[in-house]
Amino acid sequence: MAKVKGKFWRESPRIRELAFILNRIRRSPPSIAGIAIVLFFTFIAIFAPVLAVPQPNRDPYIMPRYGFSPIPRPPSPEFPFGTTEGQYDLYYGIIWGARTAYRIGVLVVAVSMIIGIVIGSIAGYYKGVVDEVLMRITDIILAFPALILAMAFVVAFGRGLNSITFALILVWWPSYARLVRGEVLKVTAEDFVEAAKAVGCSDFRIMVRHVLPNTIFPLIIMASLDIGSVVLTAAALSFLGLGAPTGYADWGQIISLSRNWITGAPGNPFAYWHTYIIPGVFLFLFVMGWNLLGDALRDVFDPMIRRR
Amino acid sequence: MQPPILKEDEQLKIEDLLVRFYTYEGIVKAVEKAKLNLRLGETLGIVGETGSGKSVTALTIMALTPTPGRVEGGNIYFRLTSGEIVDVLKLKEVELLKIRGKEISMIFQEPNAALDPLYTVGDQIAEAILTHRLPEMLERVNRLKKKEAGSFLMRLPIFRGFFEKKLLNQVVREEIVQLLRLMEIPDPERVLDSYPHELSGGMQQRIVIAIALACSPALLLADEPTTNLDVTVQAQILDLIMRLKQRFGMSIIYITHDMGVIAEICDRVAVMYAGNVVEVAPVKEIFKNPLHPYTRALLESIPKPGSAFKSIPGTVPNLINPPSGCRFHPRCACVMKKCSVEVPQLKEVSKEHYVACFLHGDV
Amino acid sequence: MVNDIKAYVARRLLLLIPTLLGVTILIFAVAQLFDPIQRASLYIRDPKQLRDIDEVIEKYGLNQPFYLQYFSWFSQVLQGNFGWSQSLHMQVLDAIVTRFPATLELALYAAPITIFLGIRLGKLSAVKKDTLIDHITRAFAIIGWSLPAFWLGIVLLAFFYGGLGIFAPGRLSPWADVLITTGEFRVYTGLYTIDAILNLNGAVFLDALSHLILPVTTLTIINVALIMRIMRSSMLEQLGKTYIIAARARGLDDKKVIDKHAAKNALIPVITLSGLLTAGMLSGMVITETIFEFKGIGYFAAHAATQLDIPAVLGFALLTGIIFVIANLMVDLLYAYIDPRIRLA
Repeated sequence: MAKVKGKFWRESPRIRELAFILNRIRRSPPSIAGIAIVLFFTFIAIFAPVLAVPQPNRDPYIMPRYGFSPIPRPPSPEFPFGTTEGQYDLYYGIIWGARTAYRIGVLVVAVSMIIGIVIGSIAGYYKGVVDEVLMRITDIILAFPALILAMAFVVAFGRGLNSITFALILVWWPSYARLVRGEVLKVTAEDFVEAAKAVGCSDFRIMVRHVLPNTIFPLIIMASLDIGSVVLTAAALSFLGLGAPTGYADWGQIISLSRNWITGAPGNPFAYWHTYIIPGVFLFLFVMGWNLLGDALRDVFDPMIRRR
Repeated sequence: MQPPILKEDEQLKIEDLLVRFYTYEGIVKAVEKAKLNLRLGETLGIVGETGSGKSVTALTIMALTPTPGRVEGGNIYFRLTSGEIVDVLKLKEVELLKIRGKEISMIFQEPNAALDPLYTVGDQIAEAILTHRLPEMLERVNRLKKKEAGSFLMRLPIFRGFFEKKLLNQVVREEIVQLLRLMEIPDPERVLDSYPHELSGGMQQRIVIAIALACSPALLLADEPTTNLDVTVQAQILDLIMRLKQRFGMSIIYITHDMGVIAEICDRVAVMYAGNVVEVAPVKEIFKNPLHPYTRALLESIPKPGSAFKSIPGTVPNLINPPSGCRFHPRCACVMKKCSVEVPQLKEVSKEHYVACFLHGDV
Repeated sequence: MVNDIKAYVARRLLLLIPTLLGVTILIFAVAQLFDPIQRASLYIRDPKQLRDIDEVIEKYGLNQPFYLQYFSWFSQVLQGNFGWSQSLHMQVLDAIVTRFPATLELALYAAPITIFLGIRLGKLSAVKKDTLIDHITRAFAIIGWSLPAFWLGIVLLAFFYGGLGIFAPGRLSPWADVLITTGEFRVYTGLYTIDAILNLNGAVFLDALSHLILPVTTLTIINVALIMRIMRSSMLEQLGKTYIIAARARGLDDKKVIDKHAAKNALIPVITLSGLLTAGMLSGMVITETIFEFKGIGYFAAHAATQLDIPAVLGFALLTGIIFVIANLMVDLLYAYIDPRIRLA
């Protein structure tokens, strides 16, 4: 019995796929780097309360202040990354900033995906007028650059992270809708859908059991590439003052605090380097990590590139 | 005294050709010690299933093995029009550029894919002509210039270059029109200004042939040129190729999986299986007396009205881990113990009839 | 053949109208998220009118159903009335028109450089696939793409302006600014480099140019990656195709095969992207303009957004939408010019 099972495992196509995927990833340094970086940030985000203990009775996402002087202080044993304008603890802000980044990134991408799947499925399955209308809507939304449309929404909803999250979801769902719609159209063109219908499968069942599995891979690839873009756009909005309030642990917001200090002090132009270099590096690495991961996934799952 | 590499009447000789493809999944041993020879003016057919290595062999004759393929051994001796003999695999790129399109040409399976969609077909034929026959064209331009020497515009140096270019275009156009007429294309003037997608499959293939023959090559490689065409068009193109062969006198290597075509136009046939040449014989002989089990199976699998449909059991082997010994042995009805151990070599069994099989040729 | 192009152009122009309408509808829909009092500023040309809000609401039917409101708003837009901007203290349309040249100047330099560099690097990367050059350019591309635009700008400013004292933010140095507004300098276009040439003033030209260097560099670094990746994958796709083997089989040398055949075919998808990129630049690079204090429409849009100045932001968004739709049209026309398969379809 055990012998049969062993052979099954080794020869099972799924296991071989997995082995092939892992092998491909192992051979590619950028992929490994991407995975490492993403794991690093995930770790930081999960263990934020341990790495940077929040002050009691306070919203942990607000950075603790140690004074009121506007002049940032350089890194020291007490403040590993120094303080920024208004004496906010930079180390704290950066650690919790990872959490903020994940919150926004994952939330926006996840919700956009769900909305996109629903709308895309409806458009692709029912076709006709419904499809046309929905696609025109996505076209128009996609016609705008993300930042600008998000800005318009934020002005409507008011400042704050919730606003930009909501705005970004509204901006991002169309690309998922298009992707899913494309897949649905492809699948419904196949004969087995007719067969399933003849047997009596409900529309919903067909969509879930046949269409969705085909879309999983492209969706995952799109999602991992998008997390980087979403976080960048959210950071840009926070930087402009439209997102996180002052003092919030958000990388974009933290960088905006450094704007007055980039020219440094007289005689030492880089006196306040830590206020912009450190948060920027973290933001950059986060985005790059996810971009590399997305690329690696695409390399692995793209059927055309695979066989070479 | 060393015997000459090529006999007097030989055009091409492939010896021990070894081609491997380095892919992520492993090393594909696409062509394994292939041997072929071709006589001047002969039409040699290469027949085999997909994966037999026939296309790779053809491309390698022009040193155009597609990446990630690498030629890892063997020689390809070729006799140029001048009589000189070269080993294609040892030539430098500069020299190869003079051979491709001029001494050896190729026509392809999908004519639509073989033409650049962004240029007119005339442009693409002109490329071949201008690359290899430029001196000849310029000579004609000079003759034309002398005729119009008196013209005013010719006196001005600024305009001269312009004018010469115009004359060159004119001369090349005329040549292309002639070529298209040879291809039996009606209304050549209009066709040469057309884009590939505006032409039918048959027309496109005639264009591809025109490009190949524009510089009168000594050898034409035809990689399944009629497989993707309608049956009636197929017949027309085959006819055309034969007529052109009469006229140009080139040798042809004709790759196909269709034994019917082989019967119609080839003098000799080489059968390839999984990267090996397994049998070579004159056409009549191979139909009358096929010796290799694979060849026999191929011939038997041709559907005949009234008899049952016969196919060859098994599938084409994985070339990353090919079967040991004779690569056909897992599917062979006459397999012996020896077949899985040793690789059979091509041996001459009767006049001009070579087989690579332990059933035959053991002297 | 000429007739085919005419028919194609006519068709695309006809499609333009419903698409533009769609853009306006979307913007108007966003506007509906605000209450009538806030929306009043969208309809007025003069802040004094705001004193009598009810009259404005009545006049433009701000409490009426969606489609009625839309028509009344749309007719205002067609008359050039985009509303009044509180934060800029001028009519929105005026604000857009006066601020646009700065953005145009920035895009004028940034777009061609980015596109050209992207195409070059993409081609090089594809042709030299898997060599060191390929790896280096791809690494550079992914770094550039992952960089936050605002951060790159800040770092560059800190280094060059803070550290070396050169390339200050803004469009001109103070002395040049004074010269332009008061001196014998005639402003023809609003693009200072061009105006400087027209005025035969070398000093101003160099000054304007030096202020362009950092923002253009920032934009290039971030956006080159995009173009480069598409060009690379497009080239690789073409290089595997049969007509390339056929071209080599004709005896064409590597250079001709790559430049004349592969690259030309590979450029087709790159054109879309380049068009969209240029459109993105023309609609105002909010971040770049803000950081470098380059007072174009992006700068003022950001400013307006923080002040919750609805007409300004909506006007800006509307302009962006229009620019993109037109850019799409131009890209399609360009396609038709280059690819005979589309032209003659």
